[in-house]
Amino acid sequence: MATQSPFPEWIRQGWASGEDFTYTKGLIEDLGLHTVCQSANCPNIGECWQRRTATMMVLGGTCTRSCRYCSVDSGKPAPPDPQEPENVAEAVRRMDLKHAVITMVTRDDLPDGGAAHIAETVRAIHRLNPGATVELLVPEFEGVEADIRTVLDAGAEVFGHNIETVERLYPVLRDRRSTYRLALDVLRQAAQYEPRPIVKSALMAGHGETEQDVEATLQDLLDAGCEAVSIGQYLRPGPKQRKVEAFVHPDQFKAYEAMAYEMGFLFATAGPFVRSSYRSDEMMKAYFARERIRAMGRVGS
Amino acid sequence: MKHEVKLPELGEDANEAASVGFWMVETGSYVNEGDELLELTTDKAAFSVPSPASGVLTEKCVEDGDEVSVGDLLCVLEE
Repeated sequence: MATQSPFPEWIRQGWASGEDFTYTKGLIEDLGLHTVCQSANCPNIGECWQRRTATMMVLGGTCTRSCRYCSVDSGKPAPPDPQEPENVAEAVRRMDLKHAVITMVTRDDLPDGGAAHIAETVRAIHRLNPGATVELLVPEFEGVEADIRTVLDAGAEVFGHNIETVERLYPVLRDRRSTYRLALDVLRQAAQYEPRPIVKSALMAGHGETEQDVEATLQDLLDAGCEAVSIGQYLRPGPKQRKVEAFVHPDQFKAYEAMAYEMGFLFATAGPFVRSSYRSDEMMKAYFARERIRAMGRVGS
Repeated sequence: MKHEVKLPELGEDANEAASVGFWMVETGSYVNEGDELLELTTDKAAFSVPSPASGVLTEKCVEDGDEVSVGDLLCVLEE
């Protein structure tokens, strides 16, 4: 007798396997790197690692924040590994990534929030991988302009900061130090920087938000200068995290994607398994992205 | 040749325990490499486990509802 699946039919992925997966796993372990694929128990890990791509997480594996949907370890982190920028750049080289997505934990314990370490990581990737583009997914640095500028000065082609959820659900989902307005402010600072990177954000669906909530959030993102957005289903990493309020139907995700384009986003992707870095290399092939990279003074890939 | 199919690991920190939802092939059936063998569920999602080889499924070592961990023997295939 088959057991009843707790998931709708569209929440189904392939279990990781195969030589390419083993290769990616070995490489990550060999270089002592952290990935959000593992720390977040990402269901896309099989698909992505089999494509020999991974989203590396810098500044260690411990976050100083504690958001109620996230399974990344929370606590007092060790000092950043000074070798990490070079190791990440080496991983990008070995995986032959044309577009490297780098995410990170929040480091309230560091005076600059880790901005200099992040900037060095971007520079190391560009140095060792000519032509490769870099997408950052950064924390909010408590909105400190100097720190955000340190990161922007490093010249990552995509500056991502996730709004994560709609304004109404911030108090119940996020660490109390994270605010909706601060997230928008970080995106605004990136959008006003010259040369302007592609400014990107992402939010989760399935926490009980309404379509009107999502529309209002998309409008706020646009008003802040955000140009690319991804929307995906929240999936509970484990019993310690908040439960899923709703499994959003794939048709609703399609409607969100269409709405984002109609509202004026240059790139939008939405779907049950869409994550902020999921298949982000595809965005870089879009005309606007290639034009922007040219304007930033880079050839790109 | 006998091929023992074990649950492949995901990663160092990843959640590597799952429960068996249901088998998609019957004992005695022939499967091709890459065919879906069974469905597992974790806290986060349902997963299909592809066959790492081609052959006849001669023995199922886990049943619907069983808890499985990385490295557990799932089934035996004979080429």
